[in-house]
Amino acid sequence: MKRTLTALLATIPLALTTVACNVDGGGGDGGDDAESAGKHGPITIWYSNNTEEVAWGKDMVAKWNGAHPDEKVTAQEIPAGKTAEEAIGASITAGTAPCLVFNTAPAAVPQFQKQGGLVPLDDFPDGAKYIEDRTGENAAQYKSPDGKYYQLPWKSNPVVIFYNKKAFAKAGVDAENPPLSTYDEFLDTARKVVKSNAAQYAIWPAPSSEFFQSWFDFYPLFAAETDGKLLVEDGKSTFAGDEGKKVTAFWQTIYKEGLAGKEKYNGDAFADGKAAMAIVGPWAIPVYKGKVEWGSAPVPTSQGKDAGEIHTFSDAKNVAMYSACKNRATAWDLMKFATSEEQDGALLEATGQMPLRTGLQDVYPDYFEKNPAYKEFADLTARTVEVPNVPNSIAIWQAVRDAYSNSVIFGKSDPDQAMQDAATKVDQLAGQS
Amino acid sequence: MPRKVHPLRILALAVGALIFLFPFYYMLIGSLQSEPDSSPAGALPNPGNLTGGNYADIDERIDLGTTLVNSGIFTGGVLLGTVVFGVLAGYALARLHFRGRSLLFNLMLLVQVIPFQLLTIPLYVLIVRTYGLGDSYLGMILPFAINSTAVFVFRQYFLQLPRELFEAAQVDGASELAILFRIALPLVKPALLTAVLLTFIGPWNEFLWPFLITKQADMQPLAVALANYMSNVAARATNPFGALLAGACVLAAPVIVLFVIFQRHFVATNLGSSVKG
Amino acid sequence: MLGRQPIGIAFVAPYAVFLAAVFAYPLGIAVYMSFYDWFFAAPGAVVDRPFVGFSNYVAVFSDPAVLRSFLNIAIFLVINVPLTVGLSLGLASALNAAIPLRTFFRVSFYVPYVTASVAVVGVWFFLFSSDGLVNEVLGDLAPDPSWLVNSTWAMPVIAVFVTWKQLGFFILLYLAALQNVPKELYESAAVDGASRLRSFWTVTVPGVRPATTLVVLLATITGANLFTEPYLLTNGGGPDGASASPVLVMYQRGIQQGQAGLAAAIGIVLVIGVLIISLINRKLLERD
Repeated sequence: MKRTLTALLATIPLALTTVACNVDGGGGDGGDDAESAGKHGPITIWYSNNTEEVAWGKDMVAKWNGAHPDEKVTAQEIPAGKTAEEAIGASITAGTAPCLVFNTAPAAVPQFQKQGGLVPLDDFPDGAKYIEDRTGENAAQYKSPDGKYYQLPWKSNPVVIFYNKKAFAKAGVDAENPPLSTYDEFLDTARKVVKSNAAQYAIWPAPSSEFFQSWFDFYPLFAAETDGKLLVEDGKSTFAGDEGKKVTAFWQTIYKEGLAGKEKYNGDAFADGKAAMAIVGPWAIPVYKGKVEWGSAPVPTSQGKDAGEIHTFSDAKNVAMYSACKNRATAWDLMKFATSEEQDGALLEATGQMPLRTGLQDVYPDYFEKNPAYKEFADLTARTVEVPNVPNSIAIWQAVRDAYSNSVIFGKSDPDQAMQDAATKVDQLAGQS
Repeated sequence: MPRKVHPLRILALAVGALIFLFPFYYMLIGSLQSEPDSSPAGALPNPGNLTGGNYADIDERIDLGTTLVNSGIFTGGVLLGTVVFGVLAGYALARLHFRGRSLLFNLMLLVQVIPFQLLTIPLYVLIVRTYGLGDSYLGMILPFAINSTAVFVFRQYFLQLPRELFEAAQVDGASELAILFRIALPLVKPALLTAVLLTFIGPWNEFLWPFLITKQADMQPLAVALANYMSNVAARATNPFGALLAGACVLAAPVIVLFVIFQRHFVATNLGSSVKG
Repeated sequence: MLGRQPIGIAFVAPYAVFLAAVFAYPLGIAVYMSFYDWFFAAPGAVVDRPFVGFSNYVAVFSDPAVLRSFLNIAIFLVINVPLTVGLSLGLASALNAAIPLRTFFRVSFYVPYVTASVAVVGVWFFLFSSDGLVNEVLGDLAPDPSWLVNSTWAMPVIAVFVTWKQLGFFILLYLAALQNVPKELYESAAVDGASRLRSFWTVTVPGVRPATTLVVLLATITGANLFTEPYLLTNGGGPDGASASPVLVMYQRGIQQGQAGLAAAIGIVLVIGVLIISLINRKLLERD
């Protein structure tokens, strides 16, 4: 036994030395950045497997390939859920990432950037200008701390409150103009719904502790309450202040009075009629078709605000160029093509999600005439708040979620204290480089 | 003299079987429902609510045929590696004395203990970058090629065989390979079948690794396609839960069939008499 | 020099090469990583990964979330392992006899094991959600908040779920082992007037001792490395991290949050812990 143990221990330093010599050194080819930036040729792209986006994507690629037979694009689907970031991260490490991913979450960009996996679009002569021309002022939220753009803001899904008209009618609430703009009104409506058994819960945001869930309960209301503050600004957390306290107090009341479920629903609670309201963006509309007669309203604020002033969370997904890309000139051209006026319009038509382009309603008047319900979303795109582009952004959101879940959802601690503790942690994480 | 089977034993088994089967039964019913019915009453088949539509739904979105074939290739490769090389290794570890035997055994134990998630990324980089096996079936199979649990099981069952058997054969001058094939192997058939059935499950239900290795939809096994489906597309089907259960039933069916076929071989052998004789 | 039967080396060579190529190297990388502020980077990227000595390990032992996950897995093992051994041996013995509908019974116990967790979890939710079947039956005795979101009950529920799901595997192991317990032993015990229960204890249990060692070892190892079920059942660790397992935390920190060095340290600590427990188990059980 002793001999085996020694032998075992002896193999470890051997393995370590072999590792140390080889560990991710193998074949460094990052020095050809300048060369790649000018190259044209075939490229690979990934996009999400959302049905409508796939349809748009296939169409877009077909058009491009028809016009550019020497720069063929091969497209693959990847799942849009949480595993997408993990798959992308792994492919960066292995050097097998595609040129473009049309499903890059802004929250993952700091990490991918740290890995050396992203290409700054400022490398291209018209890079920054193209982005700022298309997206306007909002583009600033997508800049990295070093001032460069490592992502092209593509589309957003401004988060609003959807409500079930039938359920509201049953609860005796005005289904065309329900009182949902102040916290008090919202709570009142919610109580009526649950009391009258119009639905099991008034609203059912996912209560689970994944890092991104706060984007669909805490953050949209925080954005609205603060007129557009990000979670972290200038390296300091903002969410433990007075406005944040109001938001957590609101949600705490909702959970305390049983107006929202504490367990995750296996499916879409709003589509299945279990919850009378949902807090989500327009991508969900095709899911509700035929199942729920819905109306929408902006998220509530403590005192109520004009609909034209309310901010919300953007839930944006962007396009990023990855450093494994060899033919970057083609990739950049494709990025511009896919976000051109024509293609943005096609995206809008196919998916109902809002391209991050200024003046949507002026550029596509026909669409909004045909779909007046979407006007609200177009209007909101000018007032969306993004996740802060800071180091350790995922760990930051996890810390916030843990504090929120413990104190607000399960009532195990005082929300003000919990969020303050989280804020201290977040300050530390955001300060690391 | 046939032993009388105690009725209580049957009752206990029946209750147990019911508890075990209920979720699967519920899965089957759920996969055949046209509208999801999550109330307790929905557990009983309601003729008005039955449809094969969920199976069609999921087949439309993920090609059940191709993905099943991919699952078969992946699992088959693993089974081959495990049965061929695992049996050799298990036998040697159990009955042969050679230099480095304890070291290897302890290494095998160590490997068992390591959670796959700890190795996932380094393994991915190794297989894709260093070995260049991205987007290939071999790359999919490699980390699972020889199932250490199976080797463990083989070793354990070879250990259970009485020593006299081997001593008799060695006295007769048989080579080790011959002993393995002609004497030991036939006696551990249940263990072999067990190991095959157990090794089957891992790659058959694995969804993270093949997903990392290849994004090409026509190379992905069914488990991966199902996981992807659930994460995003499911919400579109008329009965998303039902469609998912339909896929899960399709995934589970071949394994159950295999088991039903093979479990007949778990029959008691008269081991004692073969030594005396 | 090479042992009495050097052909053994040839027999194990493919397996040994496999282990070296597929496990030893990544394991080495993981150990290496744990001593650095490590994160995975693109090939050729120039990044700064300072050596941090043991500070990742210190973090493992001082982070409350990580410590809680180790406690959780201990709770899990205490419930799962004895339950697994007892139930699987009992059921395997029962299924070994010539009972009517034997195939049906055997298949029914095996079925949960072969169904992908991803699908079975939905059914489990149906049973254990706050308006699920179990609570309907229990009525007022139902805990509030309901099972999976209750920080006391979440882990035990997972333990029961996993025991149920994996029982088929262990029943199979015991079934195979039971085939090698000679019939004569049972017959002679019966002749001596032993009751069924007594012959179970005096013939069956000692007769399958190697299998019992195997079952305990494997149950401990798979239990300690629990990932899929907490991941699926309580997405992200449950209320207050009450159902997070060490591997889940490792996954979150390493793959989601990019702190690969810390994740590696968690993994190494887990491996060492399990090795110690396994060695103790072996000493206690194996009198080979």
